[in-house]
Amino acid sequence: MHELSLVQGIVDAVQETAREKGGKVTGFRIKVGELSQFDIRLIRQLLADLTRGTSLDGAKVLVEKERCRVRCLGCGSSWDFKQLAGTLSAEEKEMVHFLPELISSCSKCPSCSKSYFEIESGRSVKLAEVILDG
Amino acid sequence: MADVDSASDFRQGMIRRRLGGVRHVLLVLSGKGGVGKSVVSATLAAELAVSGFVVGLLDADIYGPSSALLFGIDEVPEEGKGGLTPPTIRGVKIMSVDLFASGRPLPLTGYGARQVLLELLALTDWGKLDCLIVDMPPATGDIMQLLTSLGNAKPSGLVVSMPDRLSTAVAHRVLELLRNEKVPAIGVVENMRRTERSRRRGAQGPAKLAKEFRVPFLGSLPYDRGVGEAVDRADIGALLKTPFAAELRKATLPYKEKLRTD
Repeated sequence: MHELSLVQGIVDAVQETAREKGGKVTGFRIKVGELSQFDIRLIRQLLADLTRGTSLDGAKVLVEKERCRVRCLGCGSSWDFKQLAGTLSAEEKEMVHFLPELISSCSKCPSCSKSYFEIESGRSVKLAEVILDG
Repeated sequence: MADVDSASDFRQGMIRRRLGGVRHVLLVLSGKGGVGKSVVSATLAAELAVSGFVVGLLDADIYGPSSALLFGIDEVPEEGKGGLTPPTIRGVKIMSVDLFASGRPLPLTGYGARQVLLELLALTDWGKLDCLIVDMPPATGDIMQLLTSLGNAKPSGLVVSMPDRLSTAVAHRVLELLRNEKVPAIGVVENMRRTERSRRRGAQGPAKLAKEFRVPFLGSLPYDRGVGEAVDRADIGALLKTPFAAELRKATLPYKEKLRTD
């Protein structure tokens, strides 16, 4: 379950931000990219477990789903993950779950059939904002 | 606009912590493809493991990974509580994008390759290592920038060059970049020496290069058919028995000593 490692990494980064800038964390915002196929409920649960009893206990945590848009570098068309995911096997979905960039390794542009993509949004989990008091 | 790293890319902190248990990071570089970096990296990693060191091998050649093929691994790393557990073959913990891609093409932009490497570095649970060998990609792009600035890991470099003028010209650039990036080079090793004549030429190429940059010239590794045969069979045991491996063992004795005493 590499979600646990990533969420722990986010919690550590939030605490580090508070130490560096000084102040108490009153809230933080996380975006969960659709391409990672993470279960948002699991991310919320992990955040609750990992912040309990720490300096982040009581901080307002906002977890947002971020829609994935992938642009073909061949023809410039943009696609949702859902438009590409239909052709993926379970093994390929797992591969993209670990390493989102590998969507290029297992998909072709529905418009021009080329393989080079740029992930415009919704790649994986990321720390979007840390709110500090004072 | 790509889905860029935010200023607070939390993976940087994860990478710092992951590499906290690694005593030495050794980047194996040549700048040019086809020089034998991957075979040198794999042989050195296996050789260090045989000598009792705890060793990891990171395949940073994201476009053309070969470490998994060299060690004959075809399994997705297991997910543990601490992250991804690299499979261990002959005492070497191995991580490569190919353990996920399984031979599929890797049509990635430079930015995409960097993201893949950041993810592998952030997620891989190496545990405590005496040495992490990094099989570097050809060229001197942003992957090199990322790996030469690994914060607390303080990497050093081993430069591999063939005896010819083209290889040494590219290796020259690599050494210059290492100097600029303040990454110490443990030395230059010549690879694929074919004849006595080419050995003499090597003395003018890679050895001269080492002298110019005031780094040790570690030795000359022969062109060895046994290497190709061992690689074709993914037989690391056979690879370690080749004259090539014997010369590499000699060439890297000072590094092994450094690992023992540091």
